[in-house]
Amino acid sequence: MVTYSYDQGKLDIQESKDGEDTSFAIRVIGDDPQMLQGLKQVQRTFEENQDFDDVLFYAYPGHEYKIIVQQQYYDDFVTELFKARLLDSVARK
Amino acid sequence: MEQQAYWAIAIFLVIYGLIISEKIHRTIVAMIGAILMVATGIVSQEVALHHIDFNTLGLLIGMMIIVSITAETGLFRYMAVWAAKKVKGEPVWILVALASITALGSAFLDNVTTVLLMVPVTFSITRQLRVSPTPFLITQIFAANVGGTATLIGDPPNIMIGSAVEELTFMAFINNLTPIAIIVMLVYLPIFVFMFRKQIHTTPELKAGLMKLDISAIITDHKLLRKCLIMMGLTILGFFLHQTVHLESATVALAGAFVLLLMTGEHKMEESLSRVEWTTIFFFIGLFVLVSGLVETGVIAQLAARAIDLTGGDLVATSMLILWLSAIASAFIDNIPFVATMIPLIQEMGQMGVTDLEPLWWSLALGACLGGNGTLIGASANLIVAGLAGKEGHPIRFLSFLKIGFPLMLLSIALCSIYIYLRYLI
Repeated sequence: MVTYSYDQGKLDIQESKDGEDTSFAIRVIGDDPQMLQGLKQVQRTFEENQDFDDVLFYAYPGHEYKIIVQQQYYDDFVTELFKARLLDSVARK
Repeated sequence: MEQQAYWAIAIFLVIYGLIISEKIHRTIVAMIGAILMVATGIVSQEVALHHIDFNTLGLLIGMMIIVSITAETGLFRYMAVWAAKKVKGEPVWILVALASITALGSAFLDNVTTVLLMVPVTFSITRQLRVSPTPFLITQIFAANVGGTATLIGDPPNIMIGSAVEELTFMAFINNLTPIAIIVMLVYLPIFVFMFRKQIHTTPELKAGLMKLDISAIITDHKLLRKCLIMMGLTILGFFLHQTVHLESATVALAGAFVLLLMTGEHKMEESLSRVEWTTIFFFIGLFVLVSGLVETGVIAQLAARAIDLTGGDLVATSMLILWLSAIASAFIDNIPFVATMIPLIQEMGQMGVTDLEPLWWSLALGACLGGNGTLIGASANLIVAGLAGKEGHPIRFLSFLKIGFPLMLLSIALCSIYIYLRYLI
């Protein structure tokens, strides 16, 4: 199982099951430009690859994002969040 | 016929067979065919170069550069999500909206590029609504081929015909082909709705989720978007005016592409040039030289004479023969080599006394473009969409597509027959 931590003053991340996939609800608190930029970077990474529905991004007003992640890309997605410095730590338990 | 003509036919048929078999990449095969035509002395290198239509190549390269830069801005995703919200997230209407955007996009961009831009956003919208993407993808295949028929720059056969015949300007294509493309699309859309309406239901909650999407966040680079829109607009305006200003369409497209690169800066150049589909460009070069062997040895002239014998030189019969033959052939084989062969044949008919070639050109364009809807292998866009759908776990099978595609293709060609007859032949 993958666990992660993040700065709760800058981000709010809620994870839930969405059929066979995992759905992330991510809200950037206080319009932090570094967080917003990081999230855009993660989005670009998955939109530019050859797989069209591995990770799907939906943007809502107020810097809220819904992200649907296919099960086999869960680890990749969390790793990309970490690489973009949205997460402080990632661990497998 | 001379010995060289038999060699030219033999090389042409072997190469054509290899292209159809798809055992080796079509570009490699076409280029080897072209080299054989030159190496065996059927055409000299100078004559071969003379037969390469640089207007077709320039137009394709220019548009590929413009589209590759514009695609980065998120414009096409924005348009699709905006349309989905406008129809309040209703899947049936989203199907109609996405098909219409695809048709419009294909009229001004290459079909393959258009579907490559539409497929990801289709997966995104259908996943959110939890409906199958397959009906949406199938309708987009048809829409891409119909939309591409509408203009000179919409589909490679039209680019080739427009380049070969000086009188057939961008406006001539709009005036003659856009009306019938719109008619075909208007006939197709209710059929799509009727066919797929039961497969694409969603819940009010999922529709509400789509309605809340922030479309302004979709555009990733507003500054770049402005530059792209300005240059796309000016390029399309240039196509409308190209005859008035005495410029070939390739000059217009290349001007648009390189002025856009000038505006975006050098850093975009390497990337955009690497995204040009060089395999397609070399495929065209190979075909032009391959067909030049048939032209120079008089084979095309003989074929034209036989066709005139068959129809008695009657314009109605010749037009219908070209329309239906092009459609059936294009459903099963690549329409680009077919059109490359037919262009000199029709030109030869003109030299043999057929005075009004216009209905023949439109018959060729309509047959070659719309014929691609007949089977899954009929057009590159079909194969691309099917390939992407299969990869994402939603395969579109050859036979299931044939059951829908072939009757719809026949319907469109029947409509075209009536259109050509009423507009040009009575």
